[in-house]
Amino acid sequence: MDNSGRRTFLGICLAGLGALTAAAVGWPLFRYLAPRTNKESAGKVVIPEAEVKAGEAKFFEYAGSSAVLLRKQDGSLIAFSAICTHLGCIVQWEKDKQDFLCPCHGGHYNSDGAVTAGPPPKPLPRIPFSVAGGNITVG
Amino acid sequence: MRVLNKIVDWIDQRIGAREILKKELTGYLLPRNINAWYSLGSILLFAFALQVLSGILLLIYYVPDADKAFKSVSYIMNEVPYGWLIRMCHAVGSNMMVLALLLHMLSVLFMGSYKRPRELNWLTGFILFSMIQGISLTGYLLPWSQLSFWATTVATNSANAIPVVGPYLVEFLRGGVLVGPPTLGRFFALHVAVIPAGIAALIGAHLFLLKRTGVSTPPFGKKNTESQLQSDVYHHEDHPGGIPFFPDFALEDLRGIAIYMACFLAVLFFDPYLFFPKDAFIPANAFVTPAHIKPEWYFLANYQTLKIFPNELIGLSLQGAAMTFLALLPFVDRGRERHPLKRPLFMACSVGGLLLWIGLSIWGHFS
Ligand code: HEM
Ligand code: FES
Repeated sequence: MDNSGRRTFLGICLAGLGALTAAAVGWPLFRYLAPRTNKESAGKVVIPEAEVKAGEAKFFEYAGSSAVLLRKQDGSLIAFSAICTHLGCIVQWEKDKQDFLCPCHGGHYNSDGAVTAGPPPKPLPRIPFSVAGGNITVG
Repeated sequence: MRVLNKIVDWIDQRIGAREILKKELTGYLLPRNINAWYSLGSILLFAFALQVLSGILLLIYYVPDADKAFKSVSYIMNEVPYGWLIRMCHAVGSNMMVLALLLHMLSVLFMGSYKRPRELNWLTGFILFSMIQGISLTGYLLPWSQLSFWATTVATNSANAIPVVGPYLVEFLRGGVLVGPPTLGRFFALHVAVIPAGIAALIGAHLFLLKRTGVSTPPFGKKNTESQLQSDVYHHEDHPGGIPFFPDFALEDLRGIAIYMACFLAVLFFDPYLFFPKDAFIPANAFVTPAHIKPEWYFLANYQTLKIFPNELIGLSLQGAAMTFLALLPFVDRGRERHPLKRPLFMACSVGGLLLWIGLSIWGHFS
């Protein structure tokens, strides 16, 4: 038998076996460590309409992330992601100024979510919602 | 491959890495008549590494709080993907490791490898053995099941028999009069930090001593290679003309590890609850003692000894005496002969002792 041929063949077999073992160990390990999608917060969120007064904002958890529901002074409702588009801090509602402030680097957004000052590059993303029977359903 | 060679070259030019590799691997010669029992050390290293890895993974989801511990373990078993695999690896692994440890001790015992100049190797090994018992005992409490709770109650209670300090010692071990949340706190710290660090350090000492004395030549098998010197000056036992550690014996070690893994996975996949009595599945209840609370199999002999003697102090002293005798064996048994068949008294005592241990364990299991 050709010795180097046998060597290559055994080498390939060993590499294959090694790859199989690595996969058999690696896959469960990856699944064990992979983030768990939170089923409870993946669905819709229902908020009673009376909870959000004019000029005030309500923060809540939505789809595993933070969101805010705002009732403007004119009474209209609007929902945003509460995550600042700059580096991901959570914005605060400043009732007196009727705007959002991000405390991390001083980003400002108006009540429509548009950037008015500071480093954020994009407006706050809007979230769809519907109102029926005194309840606001987000999502 | 060429890139790899270049990297090794680069390191080699700076720290002489190839020289170390040559000396420690291909140039590290072992006795020609070395046998498979010598692989048990490597198997133990592998088993310990597996315990450390699975243990760290369990720490991600386990909560060391008396109100949450049992729930967090159930969560790992039932909800986390492959959580059952990690947890069973750790639990089954501890049992299999003790088994390998006992075999390692027995092989060292019957081949007389504990004799001069390897007394320190035996001594560090013996301390390792005690620490492995300690890590098993403390780990047993962590799931906070009925089994955990009551086995720990009984185990810590046996210290009560020690005169004068006994009752206070029990309270000290538990962090309270009874086993409770404070016990979990201290056992958790011991199990995941103190004892593992101690074991790692002792494995280091154990291997260092092995390197300094050199591997023993088995007292039987193929032709002997070594020059048996027993002088008063330090002498490293070389094996000129022996078989290289790499690749020859490394492959034998790998075979040993493969056999160990085969046994381990057989239990894991075909009889995962082999080591789990039903009380392991019931959350701890400090007001209900279950019937027939028993320790793990390797503590059954200790358990039965305590049961036989109506006076706890006698039972405990006997165990202490037996352990001390074993620890100091190389200083008691100082003859030079290592072949088991040429040591009838030693053989009679050790086989007798082994049978006694097995007998007590079986008795403990069925009593
Ligand atoms: C965590 C536990 C342990 C580990 C990881 C371990 C590891 C090792 C390794 C890798 C070797 C070299 C290979 C061999 O001869 O098997 C060895 C040798 C040895 N071990 Fe252990 N060991 C452990 C526990 C013990 C115990 C409990 C004892 C006895 C009380 C012991 C006594 C010895 C002796 C006397 C040698 C020298 C054998 C010779 O040179 O022929 N070890 N150990
Ligand atoms: S993260 Fe909001 S302004 Fe920088």
